[in-house]
Amino acid sequence: MAIAPPGLARWARRLGAHRRDTPPLLKRTLKSAPFLPRRPLLARPLAVLAPLLLSGCTGTLPVPMGGLDRRLEAIGSSHAPALSDRWLALIGGRGGREQVVLVDLERQMPVPLPGLNRPDAQPLAVAVDASGERLAVVRQLEGRTELVLYRRSLMALEPVAMEPPGVPRRISLRADGRELAVEVSRGGVWQVDLIQLP
Amino acid sequence: MRQHRLHPPAPTPPNAEGRFTGSALLRSVVVTGALTAMLCSGCGSWSWGRRSAGPAGLGASNRQDPALSGDGRLLASVVERGGRDTLLLQEQPSGRELPLRHLRRFQPHRSPSLSWNGRYVAVLIQQGNRRLAVIEDRVNGNLLRFPLPGDQEVERLSLAPSGRRLALEVVHNGIYRVQVFDLANQLEPDLPAGMLSGGSATPKAAGR
Repeated sequence: MAIAPPGLARWARRLGAHRRDTPPLLKRTLKSAPFLPRRPLLARPLAVLAPLLLSGCTGTLPVPMGGLDRRLEAIGSSHAPALSDRWLALIGGRGGREQVVLVDLERQMPVPLPGLNRPDAQPLAVAVDASGERLAVVRQLEGRTELVLYRRSLMALEPVAMEPPGVPRRISLRADGRELAVEVSRGGVWQVDLIQLP
Repeated sequence: MRQHRLHPPAPTPPNAEGRFTGSALLRSVVVTGALTAMLCSGCGSWSWGRRSAGPAGLGASNRQDPALSGDGRLLASVVERGGRDTLLLQEQPSGRELPLRHLRRFQPHRSPSLSWNGRYVAVLIQQGNRRLAVIEDRVNGNLLRFPLPGDQEVERLSLAPSGRRLALEVVHNGIYRVQVFDLANQLEPDLPAGMLSGGSATPKAAGR
């Protein structure tokens, strides 16, 4: 759906059909700008074309996927999305209790993640591979920020150590889940580590 | 790149009498100790091959917001250039910087995301007082913009490797929500090499 700033469409309309309502400042501008169309005959097409012309400058207004949007709304507050083609991982929850959620986009349903979420951990970032098998999660637990790798088929969670030591923040998984890019804070400097996973 | 591999120690040979000599015993203790230390260093966590993403260019100290392409060939990150957070797209492992047509301005950049072969680069840009999600198509040079209604602000994004969907983290009235948008009618799919979609996209041409 194309959109245009309402002010400009209004301006074009005024220029044509409602010349009597033209504000004084615009009237002065029109007098000093002979290149602008003055007749309603020319101005009306401009009023019609303005939104179309402007849509090329401003882009298109996206529309969220309807059914999925309602599903996500049911989760409550949600943030930190990570998309693979079939899977959407995010952090969501209500009342300040947040957990990692993995949504199957084909079925538009969350899938269970046994052993991943725990009530005393606060997830901060999540990444998922293309098959939905591996999830990398940065979480805060007992005052520490840690990076863990979760394998869904094994329902197993393994810590990934930062070497040299550092505080992980944002992460990205290669589609096959075999490489992980991690933003790490070391000595006040943000760096990116690339970690090969077996 | 530092590799951490465990090798089993060679068995310490006994001497001709079938007994360990002093030096053989010492060697055995050293090897066993080293092996124990290596095992303990990996206790409770995996210790895999890893490396730094390397230099981020002249004058850049911080590197944030990493995003790998689906095939792992490209790495996008945000570095400081001229005091402004700027998207950097690099080949891996060479570190060669790849040019971007539209994304040399509209800083600060945030939250980059790449498609499978890196044909599409999605990122948040700043245009005036609004933050905007955009996708640059590196094959045809187009820039696709995703303006949101005026009362919504986009905080982060994630592009599906195929380029078929885009997820936005949107804040509205202080509430954070993830919304997913279908791009099937707007972008050709960027698929792994050898996989052809029903459309006209040829993945081998993408991202080169």
